[in-house]
Amino acid sequence: MNYKLTWVTIMFFIHFVKSSIGKKWIMACSGCFLLLFLCSHAAGNATLFNSVSLFQAYSDQLHGHPLIIAILSKILFSVFVIHIVTGVLLFFQNRSARSSGYKVQKRAVKNSLASRTMIYSGLFIMFFILAHTDAVSFGDHGTIGLTISSLFSSPGTIIFYIVSFLILAIHLSHGFWSMLQTFGINHPKYNPLIRNLTYAIPVFFLLLFSAIPLLFVI
Amino acid sequence: MTTTSISLSLEIWRQKDSRDKGDFETYTLINISTDMSFLEMLDVLNEQLTREGKDPVAFDHDCREGICGMCGVVINGIAHGPEPETTLCQLHMRHFNDGDTLVIEPFRSRAFPIRKDLVIDRSALDRIIQAGGYVSVNTGGTPDANAIPIPAPVAELAMDAASCIGCGACVASCPNGSAMLFTGAKISQLSLLPQGHPERHKRAMAMVTTMDKEGFGNCTNERECEAVCPKGISIRNIARMNREFVRASFLS
Repeated sequence: MNYKLTWVTIMFFIHFVKSSIGKKWIMACSGCFLLLFLCSHAAGNATLFNSVSLFQAYSDQLHGHPLIIAILSKILFSVFVIHIVTGVLLFFQNRSARSSGYKVQKRAVKNSLASRTMIYSGLFIMFFILAHTDAVSFGDHGTIGLTISSLFSSPGTIIFYIVSFLILAIHLSHGFWSMLQTFGINHPKYNPLIRNLTYAIPVFFLLLFSAIPLLFVI
Repeated sequence: MTTTSISLSLEIWRQKDSRDKGDFETYTLINISTDMSFLEMLDVLNEQLTREGKDPVAFDHDCREGICGMCGVVINGIAHGPEPETTLCQLHMRHFNDGDTLVIEPFRSRAFPIRKDLVIDRSALDRIIQAGGYVSVNTGGTPDANAIPIPAPVAELAMDAASCIGCGACVASCPNGSAMLFTGAKISQLSLLPQGHPERHKRAMAMVTTMDKEGFGNCTNERECEAVCPKGISIRNIARMNREFVRASFLS
């Protein structure tokens, strides 16, 4: 094994991670992974539109592969940690890069709500995920159908979930476009499509996820 | 064309030197012709201050025709003022109304120390250029203009990027004090053309590393830079820089 070359590779990777653009790529890559997870999560949850028993069957099927679950859940947890830690680090680094604020605070860009509040929407989503995993993921998967049914019997929980999905949609509306921009995907030919997807994707997830707790009301 | 006059109330940042804490001072100007440029209006103010025996307001300016990149202040929160794709010197007083209050502040960023009043030190941008914003052509006869064919759309993109005058409004308007629009434009202008290809990896690495070292913040895709840029530089150049940097990091 060539230790010297290995060391060079490690040093190069550290240099990349420490650079401003490297951190952008970390945010974008981890964000992309989390978006893909959201897709698979949405697909699994969509079984609830059929019946709770089908959802239970999906859960049983999924947890019938403990090795895959064990590995994937640890990867997912790590990606979440990377995304959050890098995001918080960027927030503090960027705040100090601005020596002092202007007396008149004004934005030249309209509709900058999502981009301005990424750190706050992100932290809210983190608290939502902590609450959600505590209530659902770490429970007994054999009776997850029942857990969900009893969870959504309380109106407070339903409101909390829908507000969280709304904040997630706001986070995604900047995150999706921002991810593609970081990947270097910005071309007049595709920009109109990207602009539409920036609205369509968050709205899709908002409607799909919000419909689930409402299923238990009706 | 009729010339009208307006009166203004100005709140200007006054700071004696780099160490001074600085504060706003209020001045009143009457009878300002709307045909004046913003800098001419400041000239009138300075004449007035000089006559009163006060220290005139220091501000950067040079060509006064929108191409040198020296001028620039933040007017009511917007770098180079309210007109899009206009440098401060090309901004005319006809865009303001009688009785307006204008808050005039210097470009602010950790990497742009204030020297006096509205004058800032933008040499950090020069050091980014020194790190790699060039092509190494040492000697030889003048090559034929069409010896290297370049597709017209590519030449246009390179020219668009090259129109950056390095005024620093992108840094001033960025909530993160990031210089990525400037660096992205400078990297793009050279990497798009065949003459810039041989050094593209070295250039991307060196310029981004210098940009980080100078204390600029990280880009979070807020698009403020693009909105205030007096030359209309697109953030497509930042996307290109992101690609260039990763290519340089992983493939060189």
